[in-house]
Amino acid sequence: MIRAEDVAAGYRGQPVLEDVGLYIRDGEFTAVVGPNASGKTTLLKTLAGLLKPLKGVVYVDGRRVSEMDVGELARSVGVVLTENVRPGLLTVQEVVALGRYPYTGLTGRLRPVDRAEVLAALGDVGIQHLADKPYNILSDGQRQKVMVARALAQKPQALILDEPVTYLDPKARVELLLTLRRICRQRKIAVIASLHEIELALRVADRLLVVAAGRVKAYGSPEEFVEDGGPVELYEFGEDAGFCAETLTVEARPQPSEGFKVFVIAGAGRGAPVYRMLARLNTPFATGVLHEGDLDYYVAKSLGGEVIAEKAFHQISLEKLEQALTTASKADAAIYVSHPVGPTNAANTALAEKLAEKGIPTIVYGDAAVKGCWAKVERLSMLADILKQLAKQGSREIPKTHLIQAGQQSF
Amino acid sequence: MITEQRHRARRGAVAAGLTAAVAAVFTASVALGSPAVQPAEALQALLGGASETANTIVNTVRLPRVLAALMCGAALGVSGALLQTLFRNPMADPYILGVSSGSVLAIGVALLAAPLLGITPSSIPSLYTAAFLGALAVTLLMTSISGIVRSVTTVLVVGVMLGYLSYAATSILAVLADIERIRAFTYWVFGSFSGSRWSLLTPAIPALAASLIFIALLAKQLNALLLGEEYARSMGMHIGAVRVLAVAAAAFPVSVVTTVAGPIGFIGLSAPYLARQLTQTSDHHTTIPFSALVGALLTASADLAARMLLRPVELPVTAVTALFGSPLIIYLLLKGRGVFY
Repeated sequence: MIRAEDVAAGYRGQPVLEDVGLYIRDGEFTAVVGPNASGKTTLLKTLAGLLKPLKGVVYVDGRRVSEMDVGELARSVGVVLTENVRPGLLTVQEVVALGRYPYTGLTGRLRPVDRAEVLAALGDVGIQHLADKPYNILSDGQRQKVMVARALAQKPQALILDEPVTYLDPKARVELLLTLRRICRQRKIAVIASLHEIELALRVADRLLVVAAGRVKAYGSPEEFVEDGGPVELYEFGEDAGFCAETLTVEARPQPSEGFKVFVIAGAGRGAPVYRMLARLNTPFATGVLHEGDLDYYVAKSLGGEVIAEKAFHQISLEKLEQALTTASKADAAIYVSHPVGPTNAANTALAEKLAEKGIPTIVYGDAAVKGCWAKVERLSMLADILKQLAKQGSREIPKTHLIQAGQQSF
Repeated sequence: MITEQRHRARRGAVAAGLTAAVAAVFTASVALGSPAVQPAEALQALLGGASETANTIVNTVRLPRVLAALMCGAALGVSGALLQTLFRNPMADPYILGVSSGSVLAIGVALLAAPLLGITPSSIPSLYTAAFLGALAVTLLMTSISGIVRSVTTVLVVGVMLGYLSYAATSILAVLADIERIRAFTYWVFGSFSGSRWSLLTPAIPALAASLIFIALLAKQLNALLLGEEYARSMGMHIGAVRVLAVAAAAFPVSVVTTVAGPIGFIGLSAPYLARQLTQTSDHHTTIPFSALVGALLTASADLAARMLLRPVELPVTAVTALFGSPLIIYLLLKGRGVFY
């Protein structure tokens, strides 16, 4: 259990972060998120007893951290710092065994109980097989696990980690965070870690402590945070990016431009990858007719696209169809993304055929049959190539046969 | 666990090999020279059973000299191992960091400057005290500098410059002093075991043995320091107390060595490096005793070479140790961060 009351953290009397109150139960994982230089490291060092709080009190297991001696503190709190360690020729096992420091005697010789704790820590982190390997040949992800195991060998009631996954590759990031959460539950210890990856934090943490500009902006469950519009506010996304609360993803929006525009007909979540590709190509798009609540609906909205949507589970009304046709007629190209068609969205196929008839280059992505389409592609990369070509020519001059060949070549 | 057994076997073999080599160098050191003594007779002389000439040569000249070289070498090796971990710098060495020069300067002050002021503190205890104060001052200075400057090479350059400064001060003192005293003093400037007499060694041997044991007892703390001070503290180390103890523990044996033999370079650098390479570990429970063994072997061999290479002229020991020490430093600098420990 870690508790902080009205804590001010900082260096040399200068507070970096003030008015921090938090309570982390045993078996609970708390993530600290916030921009760089917002005081995350300073706060964690203060909680760990490595810095004295400028104000307020930190408790671990009901005891004041400032009143514990270093040995007692080491038996209560394990720490993983951002600093890169270079323990020379020590093996993994020897590094983890350093965590037994507060338990061993004058000479530091390991007793059987110490060896058992070292093995247990290696096992909990899942690196028994690395025990005899030299630390300096390991990957960054493995090294970080060794440092976690070393902290666990201290048998702490609280584990404090400063940006444990920042320098890891994506797979190692998820793996380490899930390992931490499992250890947190199994060992029933309080865990607090600072993270930059808001998307991961929202998925693994029991609670979020959000800090910015020297203050705590929010403290609560990830759900509360998202409901209150936290992510958008925290990173001040502005025009360039949007946070999709339904999928917990950050979406990069296309820059507004007067050039090449595309209309996308999609649904049932099939359109989302196409929207993201368009945003990356900086191609503004409108889309329809979608149903509210569809994944496509949320992704398109967070990307800033114009969305023509019908109420969920309702048949597409004539009014929405007309609206879509008007909007699509102004586009330079149309994309029909194959998606399941049923009674409520049958009109979408008709819409595509109507656009093709009106002479708008209509490209089918997937295996749907659309009368009069210009090209058919099976791969998203192919679609991207065709759109780039179309945008460059700035007109509808590309011979139809060329496009169809391109589509067929891809497969 | 199998690997652990293999490591233990390897270390056993290395220890046996080093001990045999030390024994060989010891025997050669008491036997070789002018006049040469047969090894068998030399060993008899050690037990007091040889001819009077052999007895005198072996027991009053060569034995104290080789003992001094072995003990001083062990002390320099161990002190280097400690400094390298304390500074987190594989090139740290009492000679390079200027600790030995600090001692020489202090001895110079005691020998040359004090008489100018009308005091004559040239007794053996006052030399030891002066040397310790000089070594301690430089070690403290270097520790605080390395707290500010993180770069491994910057700290080294600062140490080398401090060495030059104290060399300059020593030279100025020498110019001001009279010829007789300078002759006595030059012995400390160059570094040689030729002055090893029982009177000088009697306090040195137990002092060096005690500091070896003391540093060996710091193995646990030094291991924790391999992860850096902040981690060491988070694992329960009293960082301030350990730093003070370590600084004193490194400075003390170096000052004793300097009083006995003057500044001896590169042993504190090479012995820990070789010890780690031979035993393939950075665990101080292993590297400290092995640094002592390697240091003793290197120093006694270097002294033997200094004596024998250009007979009857004797070389300063550092002239021999620099032959392998300087290339090692260049190698470490070129290889960069990868070889740390």
